[in-house]
Amino acid sequence: MSTPSAPVALAAGDAMPAASVGPITRTDIVRYAGAGGDFNPIHHDEPFAVSLGLPGVFAMGMLQGGALAQRLAAWVGPEHVRTFNLRFTGQVWPGDVLAIEGTVSGVADGIAQLTLTATRQTGDVVLKATASATAAPADS
Amino acid sequence: MATTDDIGRELERPSFRIDPSKVGELARSLFDEDPVYRDEEAARAAGFAGLPVPLTASTLTSFNAEGGALGAAAALGLDLGRLLHGEASWEYVRPLRVGDALTGTTTVLDVTKKEGSRGGTMTLVVLGTEFRDAGGDVVLRKTDTLIERGA
Repeated sequence: MSTPSAPVALAAGDAMPAASVGPITRTDIVRYAGAGGDFNPIHHDEPFAVSLGLPGVFAMGMLQGGALAQRLAAWVGPEHVRTFNLRFTGQVWPGDVLAIEGTVSGVADGIAQLTLTATRQTGDVVLKATASATAAPADS
Repeated sequence: MATTDDIGRELERPSFRIDPSKVGELARSLFDEDPVYRDEEAARAAGFAGLPVPLTASTLTSFNAEGGALGAAAALGLDLGRLLHGEASWEYVRPLRVGDALTGTTTVLDVTKKEGSRGGTMTLVVLGTEFRDAGGDVVLRKTDTLIERGA
């Protein structure tokens, strides 16, 4: 499915095409560090992370947050999102597979309200997101 | 260590031009292989005026800032080993475009201390950043909540 340039039709209850990301590797984490500029060693330096009592490195929230944002953009169009809120509710570790889901909670005055989540294979929700986006009128 | 004395403090980010190669690199690092983010022809064929810009591209503006994406946290003396990102919000005034030269002004909106459930004092810092284009218009408002866990 291609990223839409025009507003898409959205109606309450519509679901985002389900997406899966991962298994997330240390290489994925390092690639995002370089692309996005987050060089906190806790995310790439295993001895440093272990010295803090952690099992190892973990993903920066903006890796999974940005991945969820790309799925949102692929659904409603990157140029039609008006607001986007991410709450980081859990950590993501190498080997994790994330299920990314979203639904339309309502549409009013041409603006759709969306809720999205990312969930680990353990069932832990690691991201809770909301967004609003300009929508085309729903097909009737 | 961030304290309530930091509320109102402003941190400037130098200008950063949204660069096409960084857009493609960022999209790919976020597991998005859609060619519209790296191939102008594909983008135009899909109806975009140019490469679309990822929703979280505000992170790119940290590249010219001292301390990069962690510059604000470092300026406030937060311990990177205890730092968690609690929440992030974006209000898009208009879509960002490749070629936009953005400057950001971050204001410390709030600093609160809480006793952590596992002992130690947790510090919550709320940062608000306004991004302006070369014409001086606000194009994006961003809010971040940073959490420094108790020692």
